[in-house]
Amino acid sequence: MTNPESPPLILALPKGRILKALRPVLERTGLEPAPDCLDESSRRLRFPTSDPSLDVVRVRSFDVATFAAYGGADIGVCGADVLMEFDYSDLYAPLDLGIGACRIAVARPKNAGDVLPEGRSRLRVATKYPAIARRHFASRAVNAEIVHLHGAMELAPALDMADVIVDLVDTGSTLRANGLEEVETIAHVTSRLIVNRVALKTRPEEIGSLIERFRAALAVAA
Amino acid sequence: MIASPEASSPALLPMGFVDLLPQEAEAEARGIAEVMAVFGRYGYERVRPPLLEFESSLLSGAGEALAEQSFRMLDPSSHRMMALRPDMTTQIARIAEVRLQDMPRPLRLSYAGDCVVIGTPGREGERQIPQAGIELIGPDRAEADAEVVVLGAEALNALGIEQVSFDLSMPALVWNLVDSAFEGAKRDTLLHALDRRDAAAVAELGGEWSPLLLGMMDAVGSAQRALSCLSRLTFPEHLKVHVDRLKASVDAIQARAPEIRLTVDPVDFRGWRYHTGVCVTVFAMHCREELGRGGRYLAGQEPACGLTLHPQALLRVASALPRRKRCMVPLGVAKKDLSSLHEAGYATVAALGDETDLKATARRLRCSHIWQDGAIVAL
Repeated sequence: MTNPESPPLILALPKGRILKALRPVLERTGLEPAPDCLDESSRRLRFPTSDPSLDVVRVRSFDVATFAAYGGADIGVCGADVLMEFDYSDLYAPLDLGIGACRIAVARPKNAGDVLPEGRSRLRVATKYPAIARRHFASRAVNAEIVHLHGAMELAPALDMADVIVDLVDTGSTLRANGLEEVETIAHVTSRLIVNRVALKTRPEEIGSLIERFRAALAVAA
Repeated sequence: MIASPEASSPALLPMGFVDLLPQEAEAEARGIAEVMAVFGRYGYERVRPPLLEFESSLLSGAGEALAEQSFRMLDPSSHRMMALRPDMTTQIARIAEVRLQDMPRPLRLSYAGDCVVIGTPGREGERQIPQAGIELIGPDRAEADAEVVVLGAEALNALGIEQVSFDLSMPALVWNLVDSAFEGAKRDTLLHALDRRDAAAVAELGGEWSPLLLGMMDAVGSAQRALSCLSRLTFPEHLKVHVDRLKASVDAIQARAPEIRLTVDPVDFRGWRYHTGVCVTVFAMHCREELGRGGRYLAGQEPACGLTLHPQALLRVASALPRRKRCMVPLGVAKKDLSSLHEAGYATVAALGDETDLKATARRLRCSHIWQDGAIVAL
């Protein structure tokens, strides 16, 4: 069904943690991106695959959703946390890849006493998820004053920059090492295969068969 | 507080509003004229509703769906709230219902004009959106749906837009199913998950309905594939009529114009919420935005079907218009010479004084030709 005039589809993959977990799935899809694609030391950003009608771009995990939402990439892999944060209406998430499982949680200093976050009408929140944090606390009638950080939020409460943090938690060991305790889970997170809405509408056969390849790769693993 | 030294220029426009410059404004006007000419050829008569209406008329009934996208202002003379139209379909419906109620049906109307939407926070896009469209008011039949789609395809063809596809959906299917089985926050969360095709969330929230909802999510793609997937699903009795109608409309379009590329997405329920039946979204290959949107709704109590094209999006994918050639003419050229130049397709640019070097002036004013000694001379 591939139209010879069509430019290749672009698959956006996230650097880091998710890319590692994705490697076995990717192998089973048989897509075979160029060898340096999975090697994070490579300076290249765009890679061919064994399929001439598919190229891979490797971007920051927070940017995968943005690349796909604006149509720069047609398909991608990103965490449900990023989808929740940006809530792009042009993205579909047709497949849960089940990898990279963790959770978005609220944490506060261990010695914070009995006052629950909900007990106040406003709260300073250090996070890299301003939208998720605002929505979460607004639903509890709390105005979140966001301190927008890109890393090391665990420091913020101890340095009196914030009352609580909202962050991605895997084992919780970073929280414990910094004297924080988890008080609430906002959402459980896994990685999703995402698709640009217009790409799915205009190239349904090609996108559909890519989704099927990932689905089949997961079925083999199960 | 001390302002940042880099203050914005007083000429800055509000986000989402743009100036169209000479080539661009002309392309837009000609594109709209081309589309409207196609509509007119098929008996769709043009109407022109106003930019502003009282909130109570613009946003009542089917217009309720527009409320959150409407700019409002207070009318200083009547002290009533007015709304700036974010869409024209409900205005055409009002015209059909109130002013043209005695005109025989089916009533075929066309329109073109600018609309203004508030937009989506965080996603800066255009907020002044020209529309050009048609409404077919009267018969609730698959043939009427087909007429609207096929005429839309012809308008796109007139602009030289290629590889167009029409995506058909049946929002009533999703709304009825979800509204009858879910309520409150759970309903809203499920609708959001369905809109984003979040398979994991739909599986979790859908309960006993999740196999059907996931089956519908899977029934996308070419009309043939999607309809055959849908035929394998078991719908509750009260929803079968919607599935049958979707199929009937696809059949009617294919019978009329088998060359049109049709896709089906039974879960799509996006857009203005006034639609009650088959809906259509227009796409073109390699174009990242919707070219148009339409569908079936109620104009007052009457069934109606319409399609609205977005000329700005169309022009971004249409083949570029040939530039009009500009010919510099000296002061005092005879009227009949000017007319013959105009007939030959030139725009004449007149010198306003005795130019010593007409050629230099012509180049400076972006002319490709000059009128010299009774003849056209290329530069």
